[in-house]
Amino acid sequence: MPKDQRRNILDAVSAPIELARGLPNAHYTDPDTIAEESEAVLSRAWAALAVAADVPEPGDCKPLEFLGQPVLMLRDKDDTVRVFQNICRHRGMILVDAPRKIEGAIRCPYHSWCYARDGRLVSTPHVGGPGQNSHPDLDRATLGLIEIRSHIWRDVVFVNLSGDAPPFQETHADILNRWKEMEQPLHHGGSDSQFMLQVDTNWKLAVENYCESYHLPWVHPGLNSYSRLEDHYHIENPGNYSGQGTHVYRQLTGDDGQVFPDFEGLGDFWDEGAEYIALYPNVLLGVQRDHAFAIVLEPVAHNRTREHVHLYYAQPDIDPVLRRKNAAQWKEVFAEDVFVVEGMQKGRAAPGFDGGRFSPAMDGPTHLFHAWVAEKVAALRAEKDAL
Amino acid sequence: MPSDLDARLLAAHAAGDRPALIALYLEASEASEPGIACRFYLTHAYIYALEAGSDEAPALRAALVAMGAETPE
Repeated sequence: MPKDQRRNILDAVSAPIELARGLPNAHYTDPDTIAEESEAVLSRAWAALAVAADVPEPGDCKPLEFLGQPVLMLRDKDDTVRVFQNICRHRGMILVDAPRKIEGAIRCPYHSWCYARDGRLVSTPHVGGPGQNSHPDLDRATLGLIEIRSHIWRDVVFVNLSGDAPPFQETHADILNRWKEMEQPLHHGGSDSQFMLQVDTNWKLAVENYCESYHLPWVHPGLNSYSRLEDHYHIENPGNYSGQGTHVYRQLTGDDGQVFPDFEGLGDFWDEGAEYIALYPNVLLGVQRDHAFAIVLEPVAHNRTREHVHLYYAQPDIDPVLRRKNAAQWKEVFAEDVFVVEGMQKGRAAPGFDGGRFSPAMDGPTHLFHAWVAEKVAALRAEKDAL
Repeated sequence: MPSDLDARLLAAHAAGDRPALIALYLEASEASEPGIACRFYLTHAYIYALEAGSDEAPALRAALVAMGAETPE
C-alpha cells in the first residue's frame, strides 16, 4: 500500500471519537502489519511479561517466550527479580527449559558454562583446552547473561525489549499517582488464585473489551443485577491507560458473613468504588478495597492470546474458602468475555469491516487504546521513512 | 580411571545425581597423576558443585586455581 494511504488510515483511527474508525483488519490478521505493530507498541513500551509471584522464592526461575524471544525470569538470592535472554553467551543454547530452582549456578547443558543467579558468567570449563578453564582472549566480565530492562509494579513484571523507553515511573506517573493509596503490599492468593484462559483472539481485542463498560449489561447480566451501566464511569488517560470505574463495588461475603480484610488507610471513595484499567499495552488491572487482580495478556500468535489472571489480597493468610469463591467468581466473569473477543477476531476476516465506528458516549476508553496504537505505529513508520 | 569408577560415574550421570557426580569426579581427579586428567576431573567436580550451590565449590575452585587451571577471583 502507498505510504500516504497507510498514514490516512491511521489518521482516521486517531481522529476524534465522533469521526474515528477502529484499527483496520490487518492489525488483527496480517503478520507483517502485526510484526510492525508489535515493535511499536510492545517492544518499545513497557510490556507485561509475567508476575513476580511466578518465581516466589530465591533461586526460582521460569523460562518464558515473549514475541518469539526466549527469556528467563529469575529471582536471585537477594530477592531481586531480573529478566535475561535465556541463552548461553557461548553457542546460543537455551539455558533453562522448564521452571525450577537454581541452587547455585545456571549450568548450560551444552558445554557447562556457568552463570551466577545475578547473571555473571562464573565458569567456563575447558575453554582454554582440557583442564584449563580460562583463556586470555575470553573476558568473563563481558559475557554475562544479557539482561532485559525490567520493572515490577503491582507484582507485574514489565519489560522494555528495546531498552530505550523512558523509565517506567515516568511513563506511568499518572496511574502511579491515581492509585497511590493502593501502593501497599500485595499478597498473591496462591495456586487457587490464578488461572489462565487461552483465547483465540488477538491480544488487543482483550484490551479493547476490558476498557469499556458498554458491554456489561449484555455480556455480564449477573454483574448488571447490582452494578448498572449508569453506575460506571470512564477512565481516560490518553497515551497511557484507559478503563472504567464503578461506584457500587460490593464485597464478596462468605457463608458466615465474613469478608476479605481491606487494604489499609483507603479513602471513603473506595468503600464502594472500584477501578479497572488497561495499562498500555498489555496488562489489565483491577483494584478494590479488599483485593486486586492483574491479567497479563500474552500475545501468542496474531489470533491467539493467553490471559494469565492473578488475584491479590491485603493480607497473606486469607480464608481459603472465600478466596476460592472469589477466584471462581472472577473466572466466570472473564470467561463470559471469551465469545466476544473470539467473535471480534473472526469478524476481522470480513473484508467489509472498516475498523468500525465508536459510540462517542460509551467507547471513549476503547478508542483511546486504538488511537495510542495508531499513533505509535505512525511514529515508527515516520522514523523508518526518515532513514 | 578404574573401571568400576567409570561405571559409577555413568550411573550417576544417568540418575542426574549431582552429589554423587561431585564425589566421583573428585575421586577420579585424586586417582589421576598430576596433569591434564587430574585437572579435567577436578573441573567437573567443581562445575557440579557450583551448579548445586554446594559448600565444596569454593575449595574445589581454590584447588583449580592452585593448579593453574582457573583464574583467581
